[in-house]
Amino acid sequence: MMSRLLRSSLLHFILALLIGAGLGLAYSWQISPVTYVDAAPALLREDFKDQYRIIIADAYAANQNLPRAQARLNILGDANPIDALSAQAQRMLAAGEPFELARPLAKLASDLQQGFVSEPFTPTAFPTFNTPQAASTPTANETQPQAREEATFTPPPTVFFEQTPLSPITQETVTPRPTFTPTAGPDAPFTLVGQEPMCDPGASNLMQFILTDSRREQIAGVEIIVTWNQGEDRFFTGFKPELGNGYADFIMQPNTLYNIRIVTGGAFVQDISAPTCNDPNGAEYTGGILLTFQQP
Amino acid sequence: MSSSKLITLLMAIATGIALGLYYGWVIDPVEYTDVTPNILREDYRVDLVLMTAEAYQGDFDTEAAARRLALLGSEPPASIVTSALNYANRNGFTQEEIADLQTLLTAMQTYQPDGNINP
Repeated sequence: MMSRLLRSSLLHFILALLIGAGLGLAYSWQISPVTYVDAAPALLREDFKDQYRIIIADAYAANQNLPRAQARLNILGDANPIDALSAQAQRMLAAGEPFELARPLAKLASDLQQGFVSEPFTPTAFPTFNTPQAASTPTANETQPQAREEATFTPPPTVFFEQTPLSPITQETVTPRPTFTPTAGPDAPFTLVGQEPMCDPGASNLMQFILTDSRREQIAGVEIIVTWNQGEDRFFTGFKPELGNGYADFIMQPNTLYNIRIVTGGAFVQDISAPTCNDPNGAEYTGGILLTFQQP
Repeated sequence: MSSSKLITLLMAIATGIALGLYYGWVIDPVEYTDVTPNILREDYRVDLVLMTAEAYQGDFDTEAAARRLALLGSEPPASIVTSALNYANRNGFTQEEIADLQTLLTAMQTYQPDGNINP
């Protein structure tokens, strides 16, 4: 009788304890959970993280402070900040957002990948230079070398050519001044300098692009348009910085001809198709192709 | 039920509640993973304002700057920048950073949400 009473009391005690614990948990988890007031950016919701990255990239585009941008990205807690930037840029483009918005992200990813600040993008058109004409009016800067040439000019022996007018002689013998040689800017046209079939099963059907400037440094942010009989695709270099800042790729369909246009500079290449390769057993498979474009 | 038994039960409930609260608030509190920027710690908030100020130096786009600042809450943008500027002055930010914030503050003080800038 006594032990039964004890057991009943113990049971009641445990039940009361459990009910109390349940009430306590309900209050602490549901009614009044711990509130965060000093959150770190790593806890931000994904869409806010995306906006945070855009602001980091925009700030970087303005101040070119790579270590600071790197530190700011680190507090977002991404496993790989470069991948996160590239993926976000690609998501933005896929969603139809203008390239101008995604470009700072791509540039920051590219600079982080290479470890230094690359040449900033110039939103305004790159100035073009015309070769100076011989008949142009000399400017203040041009008068100085001309005066130097005239000082060292030795008059021709006119004594034997008294009947010859003198004025043309001076003009003919003056050494022409060096003319300004324009250098290739971001808008300089690209030319196809390499077209290699890639017989690697891992690159099957892959059309790879590498775009470089005249110094053979890869350039990010160049728009490429690929068209074929059933459609069109457009994309940009630099969204896979782990493969190079000037790298881009596209998946081809077998037996399809593609036309390629590099938007900047207007390069156009026709009738590119996936090559046929043979594996060691002699079986055929569709390979890839590597197209290299370079500015002059 | 005897009064002593009732007291024992009430004590058990109270102990359970205490244990439940301790577990729910200390041992395994609710984890926030999708927070909004308005509850960021003050130094992170100020850094976000500073980033906005730095970006503004590059594009001078008041509309974009106001949009970025709106991430931090519904306060007027100028108030957000003023708070950040005070924090920067108290915490030894560089002259350049303070100048950037000052420029942003001036822009936000004249910013109108419809895109018009007061003269």
